[in-house]
Amino acid sequence: MKRLHLMAGTALVASLSAGVATAESLTIGLASEPTAVDPHYHDVAPNNALTRHIFSALGALDANQNVVPALAKSWTNEDDKTWVFNLRDDVTFSDGSKFDADDVIFTFCRQVNNESAVGATGKEVANMAAVEAVDPYTLKITTKEVEPLLPELLAQIMVLSEGITEHGDISFDLENQCGVTGAWPSVEDFNNGSAAIGTGPFVLKDFTKGSKISLARNENYFGTKPEWDEVTFVPVPSAGPRLAGLLSGDYDMIENPAARDIVQIEKNDGLEYTSASSNRVIFLQMDVGRDETPFVETEDGSNPLQDVRVRKAISMAIDRQAIVDRIMDGFAEPAYQFIPDGMFGAIENPAELEYNPEKAKELLAEAGYPDGFKLTFHATNDRYINDSQVAQAIAQFLTRVGIQTDLDAMTRSIFFSRRSGREFSFSMGGWGSSEGGAASFLRQYVTTGNPDLGIGGSNYGGWSDPAFDKVIIEAIQTIDEAKRTELLQQAEQMAVDEMGFIPIHFESSIWAFRKGLNYEGRKDQYTLADEITSDAAN
Amino acid sequence: MTDTSQQLTGQQALGQQGVGEPVPQRRAPIGDTPQRRAMLKRLKRRPSVKGSLIALFLIVVIGLTLPFFAPQNPYDLTSFSVMDNRLAPGSESFEGTRFLLGTDQQGRDMLSAIFYGLRVSLLVGLVSTGLALVIGVCVGLVAAVMGGRIEAMLMRLVDFILGFPTILVALVMLAMIGRGVDKVILAIVVVQWANYARIMRSAALSERRREYVEAAFNLGYGKPRVMFRHIMPNSLNAVLVVATVQIASAITLEATLSFLGVGVPVTQPSLGLLVASGFDYLMSGDYWISLYPGIALLVLIFSLNLVGDRLRTALDPKRS
Repeated sequence: MKRLHLMAGTALVASLSAGVATAESLTIGLASEPTAVDPHYHDVAPNNALTRHIFSALGALDANQNVVPALAKSWTNEDDKTWVFNLRDDVTFSDGSKFDADDVIFTFCRQVNNESAVGATGKEVANMAAVEAVDPYTLKITTKEVEPLLPELLAQIMVLSEGITEHGDISFDLENQCGVTGAWPSVEDFNNGSAAIGTGPFVLKDFTKGSKISLARNENYFGTKPEWDEVTFVPVPSAGPRLAGLLSGDYDMIENPAARDIVQIEKNDGLEYTSASSNRVIFLQMDVGRDETPFVETEDGSNPLQDVRVRKAISMAIDRQAIVDRIMDGFAEPAYQFIPDGMFGAIENPAELEYNPEKAKELLAEAGYPDGFKLTFHATNDRYINDSQVAQAIAQFLTRVGIQTDLDAMTRSIFFSRRSGREFSFSMGGWGSSEGGAASFLRQYVTTGNPDLGIGGSNYGGWSDPAFDKVIIEAIQTIDEAKRTELLQQAEQMAVDEMGFIPIHFESSIWAFRKGLNYEGRKDQYTLADEITSDAAN
Repeated sequence: MTDTSQQLTGQQALGQQGVGEPVPQRRAPIGDTPQRRAMLKRLKRRPSVKGSLIALFLIVVIGLTLPFFAPQNPYDLTSFSVMDNRLAPGSESFEGTRFLLGTDQQGRDMLSAIFYGLRVSLLVGLVSTGLALVIGVCVGLVAAVMGGRIEAMLMRLVDFILGFPTILVALVMLAMIGRGVDKVILAIVVVQWANYARIMRSAALSERRREYVEAAFNLGYGKPRVMFRHIMPNSLNAVLVVATVQIASAITLEATLSFLGVGVPVTQPSLGLLVASGFDYLMSGDYWISLYPGIALLVLIFSLNLVGDRLRTALDPKRS
């Protein structure tokens, strides 16, 4: 019986691999649709994932978010503010033109001459004092402030071809349009393909909004060429139809099937899935900056969230493992810090944040709230995976230790605008640290707000710890990696100890695909077709 | 023998509860007319209506005596645990509680959640219809009796409100004012009162030309008195029939809004919200989270509609 099973299995694999060998095209069901082919249009994950197929940058972020060489072979610091990038001399654009340092300078200029973009672009360029092409394949960048993360930041700026508009001699002269005489390309020029000329593993064939995106292999790609002649992305926002499309064979791979539907994939002999922990942390943000806070009710009108014992009690009241097991169906990891282990600046083997409701009650009593208090908890219901369910479970845990919690879960657009207006006392957010590891969350959320330094922009709870600020500001201006790691770990530990923010879990991303394909998965949740391989080709 | 007779009286009792049918032996209450009596007779003859009345009666009883029936208080976050989530109907929890209809993704007992959900539905249906009725009747009457500029203004306002799709207006309102049963009721009143105003006005307009109204005016009664004491009682029939059907549509509207995620708070689920949260799990085979609240909603709305529909037929002047 067992042997029969095995034989059937082999036959199935054989027939499937035969199928792969003949048709070298790939159709992928996307969970969320990219809005443009223009890599500088809107900095959101679906757009970034698409444009990385067509364009390349000086560096690239690997699956674990470490920066690796791409268009630049190597880079060095001459001093804290001067960087030299050695570019590859064997790269051509998809229209056949040669890539050199002028294309990079043109790209920087387009970042600041980018009227069709959503949100501001070019904050990295704003920090550049000078950019100079020493020779066609050597680029020297001088920054205004020390920026140790420059290679990481530049790995996110996809390089365009200077040939997409008319120009004279290109130089980093922002006031005089850098030598460009024609019109700066707009998002439409990219979407219709005329400006979508890059050095990525694929070239754009067709971009039809709401329907599909077709790519073909770039035969001149300088890196490892992808296995696929053609790749088609089909956006299918609802999880149900996306899974149905995979089950019926319409798609070879889908992004993020609902974790609860994994059982369907496991039952199916022709399908497999892979999951990767992402760098997105789900956390609680508390209003600690105000002595009276609108959504907390206590007898004396005080703000209990200002007391570290109360914050610790809240953390202890929450059973992170139960949330991961019961709500996330195991596709998440309990978070004991703000970035996952292994990322730059993460604490190695952080101490577990224990679940201990009894001790939580003791701590509350010690802090002067033996009968707890009343709290309204705000969360999204359509932004993060199972967000309103997670929030309900947290409300359940808090109520059980005496903090009577009302949950108000709302749609993301309302939530985000109210949160930035500092309307909430206690809310649940999420943050994916893309570049710079630990620094990303800490400088954005935990640091005291300081617009001049561009830090603390999301510190909606008014958290302010001068000792912490000192460490983090030193960390983000330290070039030496070993020293920066140490400082970041120290800052991360301080943030966890003071519990100004309470980490809950890290989301995992799931990719489901037909047997015979392999995909490792990525921390940034991108689906990159050139990283998908098939058994047949190996 | 005894059993049957008891059952019969029981059913009669149900009929009386449901529509307030006068007991034959007693003197007819004020306002009772031969037409009305004939109507009730016609109503009672239909077995489907009888069934609906029984269902409605049971739902009302459950709604009123909730804590006694429901094994758990699904609005009390400490009474259930996420460790019991998504258990199939009939399973037992760690502590040995049995969940007859299973649990939802927070570990709530579905049976209790449905009972509480029915109560919310009824409350929303009755209160919002009642309030909308009062506002609509007053506006309609004033418009009909005052006439002129006031009428034009009021009726254009009514046209304006009726011109928008109901759900859209309610969605926008709730997005602005937030969640909660009281807010849902407010939203439903805002979108529904105009219906009553329009019907009341047309009924009152035709009554206004009757001689008894003229007589009342000639006797020197003021407009308010003529409006509420003379015209209103005579033009209320049509509005009341619409109201019975509108209770069902108010309940549907609440369920729809909750399904779309703007109605009641997630920690106090109504039937619509229960269906919505179970909807995500249909592909995984956890059908009970959506199915049973759906059935409960269906029975409630179907019964209300059936009774309302029969009431309309029975009250149709062309048939009497």
